[in-house]
Amino acid sequence: MKRHEIAGVEINAVSIRELLFSKTMLLAYLLLALGAYGVWEVFSERYFLLTANAFDAGLHPGSTEVAEAMKEAVFGVGGEVKREQPWTLYIVNYMYMIYTGSAIIFFVALAEIFNVKLIQRTAAGFITFGLAMVFGGLFTIAVDLNILHMHWMFLTPNIRAGMWLMLPLYTVYIPFVLFEIYLLITNKHDWAKKVAYGILILSIMIDLIEYYIQAKLFNMNTARHLWTTYPILTLYFIVSAFVAAIAIMVLYSYFTHRRSLGDDFHILITFLRKSSLYVIALLAMYEATAYLFIDKEWGAIILFGEYKIYFYIYLFLAVGLPFALEFKEHSNNIWIIIGSLSVILGTYLGRYIFVYGGNAYPMSNRFGLGFEKYGEYEQAKEFIFFSPHSSEVLVVVGSLGVVLAIYKILDMLFSVSKIREH
Amino acid sequence: MNYAMVLDYQNCINCKACEVACKEQNGVQLGADKQRIWVSTYENSIFGNPFVAFHPSQCNHCVDAPCVSVCPTGASYFAEGGLVMANKDKCILCKGCMEACPYDARFVDDKYVAVDKCTFCFDTRISKGETTTACQATCPTKVRLFGDLDDEKGELVQLLKKRKFFVLKESEGTVPKLFYLFPEKDTSFAENSIGKGTTIHTWESYKPVIDKAVAMRRKS
Repeated sequence: MKRHEIAGVEINAVSIRELLFSKTMLLAYLLLALGAYGVWEVFSERYFLLTANAFDAGLHPGSTEVAEAMKEAVFGVGGEVKREQPWTLYIVNYMYMIYTGSAIIFFVALAEIFNVKLIQRTAAGFITFGLAMVFGGLFTIAVDLNILHMHWMFLTPNIRAGMWLMLPLYTVYIPFVLFEIYLLITNKHDWAKKVAYGILILSIMIDLIEYYIQAKLFNMNTARHLWTTYPILTLYFIVSAFVAAIAIMVLYSYFTHRRSLGDDFHILITFLRKSSLYVIALLAMYEATAYLFIDKEWGAIILFGEYKIYFYIYLFLAVGLPFALEFKEHSNNIWIIIGSLSVILGTYLGRYIFVYGGNAYPMSNRFGLGFEKYGEYEQAKEFIFFSPHSSEVLVVVGSLGVVLAIYKILDMLFSVSKIREH
Repeated sequence: MNYAMVLDYQNCINCKACEVACKEQNGVQLGADKQRIWVSTYENSIFGNPFVAFHPSQCNHCVDAPCVSVCPTGASYFAEGGLVMANKDKCILCKGCMEACPYDARFVDDKYVAVDKCTFCFDTRISKGETTTACQATCPTKVRLFGDLDDEKGELVQLLKKRKFFVLKESEGTVPKLFYLFPEKDTSFAENSIGKGTTIHTWESYKPVIDKAVAMRRKS
């Protein structure tokens, strides 16, 4: 294939048709189209919902729009954001994508430092996929926030808030990871080697800071005791993200490297399988002890209450089943593939329980006598559980399209998935 | 100045005039769940005798307000008199403040696509020279009394010096500034209308808590 070279980076001279109309890209478009529909639904409810206040009723007597808005106020569902459940599937997906994507980058950086040859040879593809996942997470959170006011993050920043700290971190983190990819895909190995270790150690430090800030973000919500009583939240985020990251690396390797690596593919899968067992065991140890420290109100809801079915399915899918399937080496990779799929579903459910569980115990028990009603016409809720809205689900589906599209375009242009000898 | 409110909650008859007055005065979005202030009801019985307790409530304008700490843009901020305010123009709808508030005192105003909450009518009444909030002015049974905790001779502090009171969810450490008066008569009934772990305070016991929290906030 013909290539152009800019600053040492070889860029494949692919045609527009090859770049934008491959099978992967067509799948990405389908996912993106579903996501776009979800965004349209969210925005139409957020920015175009008919609303009214007392002034409208006085200033526009007889207005049909005001009448419709008042009808919505009485009989409608109460707007896009529910008072009792502020953080929903957007946060779940954001957490999953960001943590898991970062964990892939973190894991690859560690493997490079420890000279794991097979990971070094495949590092660019893994890191690019991890970065694409970070962008998938950012897409979800961009839909969740009121983007029309985002400039205030910079104009009047509260630099102590976890939310604000994430934004400048991304402005450092993303270029940093891109630089790392640059080092990996350029063939200036001598120069790359000189700085690679420094870059990799810095990369790990930035990853750790990211996990710390994410934990701070949840820890600052002092009223939500599930989040504040989780012991060593940063460590929990790293361990659970590692479990998911390795599962994604297994699937990525299967689709990308099972032919290109030849006999080494089995060695790579075995390495990932063994690594997976260690982190699954760590996660199991964490979950087995964490609930000794968690506020009993929240612990009761998750372990014995309405969330227990989700919690035990999560343990089965993220810990039990994959551990059983991956413990023994099999000649057929199908078992580790099933184990990895199980981990991906299980850890996603784990994130779901973490976010929704934080909201599960209502804040409405203000007087210590029992829960108050949220709406005039509602029953008092002793626990809160919401199923995600269809538009949220579609936005999550769209985020998968973002991941695929970004990865595929970068791979087509820079051959990031190519096996590179160091 | 350190604005606060005393609520003689056992005077509440749940007429909801305060809720209506708040919406009218402050242009709060219409909707049953869109409230800056509210009255919750608690029903139970003592030895087979049923009773109902009304609990009027709103933002506690905490001295150590977690909603302010978590806000990334400064949309939630401490204003004059230690009031916790929400600037709708700066709100990016991260909903962090809603998660951080132990009192569920915040909601999303869909008209402005931003979080809304009680302001003690600062922008619509107090800053214009009024001395009462809309909810206080309209209450037929004089449940609420707005005032300044720094004004030792003021009606609010005088009342707190005279009566015992409690605050909501004290264990969260937010140092709230809604003071619920503990009834002087029929204390056994009163004790049943509040949670068992609730600490009953006097001005002497709670004043140092406020002073310490205010000093901490000024330092930070």
